Amino acid sequence: MSNNIYIAKAQPVFDAIVVGSGISGGWAAKELCEKGLKTLIVERGRPVEHRKDYVGEGVKPWDMPFHGKIEKKLIDEEYAVQQKCYAFIDATKHFFMNDKDYPYVTPKNKPFDWIRGNQFGGKSLLWHRQSYRWSAHDFLSNAQDGHGVDWPIRYQDLEKWYEHVEVHAGISGSYEQNEILPDSKFLPPFEMNIVEKEMKARIEKKWSTRKLYIGRTAHLSVPAQHHIDQGRYQCQARNECQKGCSFGAYFSTQSSTLPAALKTNNLTIATNSIVHSVIYDPKTNRATGVRVIDTETLETREYFAKMIFLCASTLGTTQIMLNSVSEHFPTGIANSPGALGHYLMDHLYGSGASGIVEGFEEEYYSGRRPTALVMPRFRNHNEKTTKFLRGYFLTAQATREGWENVGTRDGFGTDFKAAIRSAGGWRFGFGGSGEMLPRYENQVSLHPTLKDKWGLPQLYIECDYSDNDMKMLHDIADTAAEMLEDIGLKDVTKYVRALSGWNPGLSIHEMGTARMGKDAKTSVLNGWNQTHDVPNLFVTDGACMSSCASQNPSLTYMALTARAASYAVEQLKLGKI
Amino acid sequence: MLENSLTLDRREAIKYMALACGLVLSASSLNLLAASLLKPTDLNRRKLKLLSADQLLVLRELGEVIIPTTDSPGAITAGVHDFINGYAAHCLSKEEQHQLVSTLDKIANAAKTHQKIAFDKLSVDQKVELLTQIEQAKSPFTEQDRKDLKQVKALVVFAYYTSEAGATKELAYLAIPGGYKGNFKFNAVGKAWALSQ
Repeated sequence: MSNNIYIAKAQPVFDAIVVGSGISGGWAAKELCEKGLKTLIVERGRPVEHRKDYVGEGVKPWDMPFHGKIEKKLIDEEYAVQQKCYAFIDATKHFFMNDKDYPYVTPKNKPFDWIRGNQFGGKSLLWHRQSYRWSAHDFLSNAQDGHGVDWPIRYQDLEKWYEHVEVHAGISGSYEQNEILPDSKFLPPFEMNIVEKEMKARIEKKWSTRKLYIGRTAHLSVPAQHHIDQGRYQCQARNECQKGCSFGAYFSTQSSTLPAALKTNNLTIATNSIVHSVIYDPKTNRATGVRVIDTETLETREYFAKMIFLCASTLGTTQIMLNSVSEHFPTGIANSPGALGHYLMDHLYGSGASGIVEGFEEEYYSGRRPTALVMPRFRNHNEKTTKFLRGYFLTAQATREGWENVGTRDGFGTDFKAAIRSAGGWRFGFGGSGEMLPRYENQVSLHPTLKDKWGLPQLYIECDYSDNDMKMLHDIADTAAEMLEDIGLKDVTKYVRALSGWNPGLSIHEMGTARMGKDAKTSVLNGWNQTHDVPNLFVTDGACMSSCASQNPSLTYMALTARAASYAVEQLKLGKI
Repeated sequence: MLENSLTLDRREAIKYMALACGLVLSASSLNLLAASLLKPTDLNRRKLKLLSADQLLVLRELGEVIIPTTDSPGAITAGVHDFINGYAAHCLSKEEQHQLVSTLDKIANAAKTHQKIAFDKLSVDQKVELLTQIEQAKSPFTEQDRKDLKQVKALVVFAYYTSEAGATKELAYLAIPGGYKGNFKFNAVGKAWALSQ
């Protein structure tokens, strides 16, 4: 990346401004640049250059001062929330937002764990990379049970865009022809280990409704020529992912969408630039630009463009919109429907079960696979329940226990040491990912008085689990435990972590708060991710989601973004925006 | 010094990775892969120590009882006690620090009370006997004593298996597996992996 693509001061009017540079922002920039638009990415965080700035990558555990752990004082004072993320370690901590600098507020009885990136590339550097299409059923669920608003689009509207983004990003997986979890355009799948194959055979023999596949992940299992041409290489199964990967083996803005956007010579980037608000012109009913605060100088400046894509993360985008007030939009830009900030969702994680698999002591595996297994949704699909609405899918994995698991068992000395060297027994377990219902009362707003150090109002987040959500979380644990017992596992234990600190937000799949819907009176966005109120303002990150399904959402953000960008450029050329 | 050699190591490692996975790359693109890695800036953060000389000595001996020298280095050679001394000062809460210190003191006192000799002067068998009594919560030791000892054990195990000796000499350390092999016999490596899935 050359320095001359970074700017501080405004230039003349850009064709497009993209706010945010994570998964959605990177895609928006790539697509708009490739269609010839002079595009500016505005990013709140610092620049992070591919390879060079992956300072945690390849540092051996014993070379880190605390072998990967972090000082308690630093965690308590600056990363009180971020530390709850599984990926927050010494080698990745610089890619997480500082909670002290960017505070937010929740009611005491409704904690919400907001996990955030704060750099060029956003959470695309930190994500867990599991990539699943939604199914036709998922776009119908709101219409069928009446919770949330009907999606203005259907699976068919997105199908070709899924393929478009999958080919570029590189998604590994196996073709299964299962309508509840449609196949992507795949690179070759990662392998199952021998115990996983055995568990799959036992389960599929017992239940015709339950299948177990290898997980689908945005890693180059075997790169295609166009990946190699982008400077990306095969996944080495190092499990260094969130530290940054010099191989570019997983999809990130830096590895995938940025090189494509740069190639067009149409991209400009402004980092360290917090968007304060979107500038609105009531005479033309258009968004004309963004007001920015420089994080280093605290200066304010403005950038102007013919259209604006908000991709600042689900709650980041909504925070900007809520703060974009004018005479015409006193409660936030494009909020004439009053839905802005409402219907916040996160996936229902933290429930599951695991047990011991006897035997297989001769068997092992090599490498740290960047995915697990997936059991597509069966609950309320081909196995109905009246206990709750909607459903979940399960992830699964078989591993041998390591020193982390067996290190505190009884005993001392040579035998104790030898037992760890010879590896522990096999464990197999399930974890759930459930669909949270969209509810009006799960919402965010701007705090009336509290501000952050840049003078921006703090976000006030109110979100908790509903009765339906809790019933589903319990069903995940119960069903997983029963299934493990039925296939012969020993010492099966189950857990529902929502009861002990797994707060909404911690699944890091926050969605909604600027939902799509057909009716301009009840939804913020139309079927093209375009605000009903302001034709040149688009939202294509997680804020747009009308329901949350149970699949990991990032692949769907990519597809929605590419589709919206294509539409926006057509509209621009037609003179309609 | 450390940081310079570390950066060099990481560059070389990344080049090696590229070669190891059979990529046909020109010398210049190999250099591109490895060239511009920035140094970690905050590797020299371990300044404080928690334990007194006596407590450190008990920890040193205790570590070696849990993980003795065999055909690979034991806890003392791996520097487990010194690591924990700094780690505990920086990374543990006040309560956890107190628990560690009082557990080490309790072990020292138990040796003096029951065996009439300092813990480090006991024979290996005597040390194992005393620690087993604590771990089994045998009178006069309590369930709480057992839990406290387990906490120290967890620290020793973490410190050892993330040390260079523990990870590379005792277990199998593979920074760059080159891919995932699901059908792989334990005998092909003969040891547990140091880095877990």
